Amino acid sequence: MKTVKIILAALLILCAAVLVIAAESSKDKLPGLLERMDAQGAAAQDTKMQKAKDRVLDALAEGSREKVLRSLERYLDGWPDRLDTGGTVARELFVYRNRPSLTAAGLFLLLAGALLLGAVFDRTGKIRKAALPALLIGLLYAGVYILESVVGSGTMLITVLKKGAIYALVAVAMNLLNGFTGLFSLGQAGFMLIGAYTFAIFTIETQSRAQVYQYYDGGLVQFALPTLAALALAGAAAAFFAFLIGLPVLRLKSDYLAIATLGFAEIIRAVFQYDGLGPITNGSNLLRKYPTFDTVLFPFLVAGACVAFIALVIHSTYGRSFKAIRDDEVAAEAMGINLFRHKQLAFVISSFFAGVGGALLAMYQTTVQAAAFTSAMTYEILLIVVIGGMGSLTGSVMASFLFIAASEWWLRFLDNEQAIGSFQLPLMRSGFRMVVFSVIIMAVVLFYRRGIMGDKELSLKRIARRLSPRKGGGANG
Amino acid sequence: MAERVLELDRVTMQFGGVVAVDSLSMRVDRGEIVALIGPNGAGKTTAFNCITGVYTPTSGQVRYLGNLIISNRPQGRMKELYAGSDKAFPAETVVNTPDRITKMGIARTFQNIRLFKTQTVFENVLIATHLHKTSNLFTAAFRLNYREEQQMRRHALEMLEVVGLADLKDEKATSLPYGKQRRLEIARALATKPQLLLLDEPAAGMNPQETDDLGRFITGIKNQFGLTVFLIEHHMDLVMDISDRVYVIDFGKLIAHGVPEEVQDNPDVITAYLGVEEE
Ligand SMILES: Nc1ncnc2c1ncn2[C@@H]1O[C@H](COP(=O)(O)OP(=O)(O)OP(=O)(O)O)[C@@H](O)[C@H]1O
Ligand SMILES: [Mg+2]
Repeated sequence: MKTVKIILAALLILCAAVLVIAAESSKDKLPGLLERMDAQGAAAQDTKMQKAKDRVLDALAEGSREKVLRSLERYLDGWPDRLDTGGTVARELFVYRNRPSLTAAGLFLLLAGALLLGAVFDRTGKIRKAALPALLIGLLYAGVYILESVVGSGTMLITVLKKGAIYALVAVAMNLLNGFTGLFSLGQAGFMLIGAYTFAIFTIETQSRAQVYQYYDGGLVQFALPTLAALALAGAAAAFFAFLIGLPVLRLKSDYLAIATLGFAEIIRAVFQYDGLGPITNGSNLLRKYPTFDTVLFPFLVAGACVAFIALVIHSTYGRSFKAIRDDEVAAEAMGINLFRHKQLAFVISSFFAGVGGALLAMYQTTVQAAAFTSAMTYEILLIVVIGGMGSLTGSVMASFLFIAASEWWLRFLDNEQAIGSFQLPLMRSGFRMVVFSVIIMAVVLFYRRGIMGDKELSLKRIARRLSPRKGGGANG
Repeated sequence: MAERVLELDRVTMQFGGVVAVDSLSMRVDRGEIVALIGPNGAGKTTAFNCITGVYTPTSGQVRYLGNLIISNRPQGRMKELYAGSDKAFPAETVVNTPDRITKMGIARTFQNIRLFKTQTVFENVLIATHLHKTSNLFTAAFRLNYREEQQMRRHALEMLEVVGLADLKDEKATSLPYGKQRRLEIARALATKPQLLLLDEPAAGMNPQETDDLGRFITGIKNQFGLTVFLIEHHMDLVMDISDRVYVIDFGKLIAHGVPEEVQDNPDVITAYLGVEEE
């Protein structure tokens, strides 16, 4: 049995490796492939065809996959009878066209093989326990990536996934504070603003600075940090402000935090647009020409890692103390928990990830302007937290995607004028979407006061229990 | 002479015009079980709150194991308002927050049960082991404190076994019956590894049988953990049964003090307290 499993795992890993290597090497094989397709040398005799072929090679040199694919299709469509696209060529073309999907699938199989192998030699049983969640997460990431390469990264679905992932992070960060520690803060947009601006200011390409900061002599900062370092810096900047605000406010009763953070968010928005800070913040003008992401995988990976860290904190002894403070401050303090320290810790962590979320949002938008970070943004995130359930991370994540999908996509049609036959539907015009959206939200908040998840988490165990009612009935009713 | 664990020196706590505790001086020695009794509203809980740092007394001092942990005199508005009977104030001001006092080794339970209501029985006790952690946020988040975490869990479970709630550990704390919630509060206090245990009406809401068991239980944990116990209690049988000495207060003032038999026969106590109880 053991040897069978080992052989199976080895086979899986081998297949996966072959798949990944084949997919990834298809990029370098394209020039050779073009030659083999054109075995008769038809292109050499036809300048138009030669040009189309060169365009593929140029795009390849440029490194833009989308361009390569587009010019390749044109080349193939233009001279179907003169090009030989049968046999191995067809296979290699398939591999080239589906490279991202095949790589993703290969990596997923690699993970599966590694887990299987690990489980065989695992004595503590830890790998076996982690295998299913790890596989599901791997499947999710591979699936999202494949989905993107199939439907195209500009589609509404992928846009919603990108923005949803970012909102999931900021909602989870807010939930850490409001839902798990019981501190009511309304500064989320302010901390996101700091994160977004810190990221943008320190990553704008040096050669574009003169253009971006055209009214401020190219600005003060004259260097650009790597993206990941700037993301961390964005979080750190937001965390630093949280630290400062917390020093006086977190010693007072909790209500003051809401007022202080709301005021802070309003002030910071004004300050960042102040002309005197123009050399740094570009005043009330846009910041642009900083790194952005083009694959949905980026926000998924960054937000996923951050949410995972927050989840780890919540399940640690520190997270238990946060929940104790939420449940009963007096008792928590009597158990030796330093209220100020722990509130400060929760506030700083939450703000750090709000800052990272803000930076991701800036990357998503490709331009950023302080005026957009209004308190309405904070309320939006607060709504997500409430809808998902105060004290439920999975609730916040699910609610984020639902919320973004509803507001950006599913309810879009309400904004367009529509007619049934010759009857023009009343109300269906720009802005109606937000009315309907507000009504839905009101209904959700009124009738599902505890949100989708309450303070429970969505887990495999829970789903399994739901699916087999006979087994689950006993323990929790 | 036995070691002095706790000493209150003319502690006064005044809320606005109400003097809830008036120039109260008491002591508790190592290994003793001392009871604090008095009619409703006498200021017993307030005295506990002054010891544990929940309130800063208007005036007076508290010593723990010989160290001054709390010291204050009337400040600001209180200088004019002060209505306590003692007018000689300490010079120092020493303030400690409840968490620091718990870390020093004074643990307490609450009269109006204060469990962490969304948490299980086990989690309630586990939280009380947090104060002795050596891990920081990152070592705790990434489970590099695995050993310590195991120790915390083992200790919490031991405390539950001590109070006899181990088999209910995964129940929600607030779903327990009243008497068991009180025991859970004791388990939680014990988990902080105290030297001095303050119990605020641990038998409240218990029937005679449960009260009887509780008496034996308190003596038991006192011996097992080498504790000193200071308790507020209305059940006279329990007080007379287990305490070495008794303090009686009324309207914040000490009216009697001594071994249980002495106090029981004191005419002041009978009028102020026992008389009320037995009418
Ligand atoms: N935070 C406070 N603010 C104002 N008055 C208070 C406060 N805490 C207690 N008091 C008052 O102090 C007095 C003593 O209250 P305390 O709770 O200490 O009594 P107790 O002896 O514990 O009574 P019981 O047996 O009912 O528990 C009461 O008159 C109460 O109203
Ligand atoms: Mg009381």
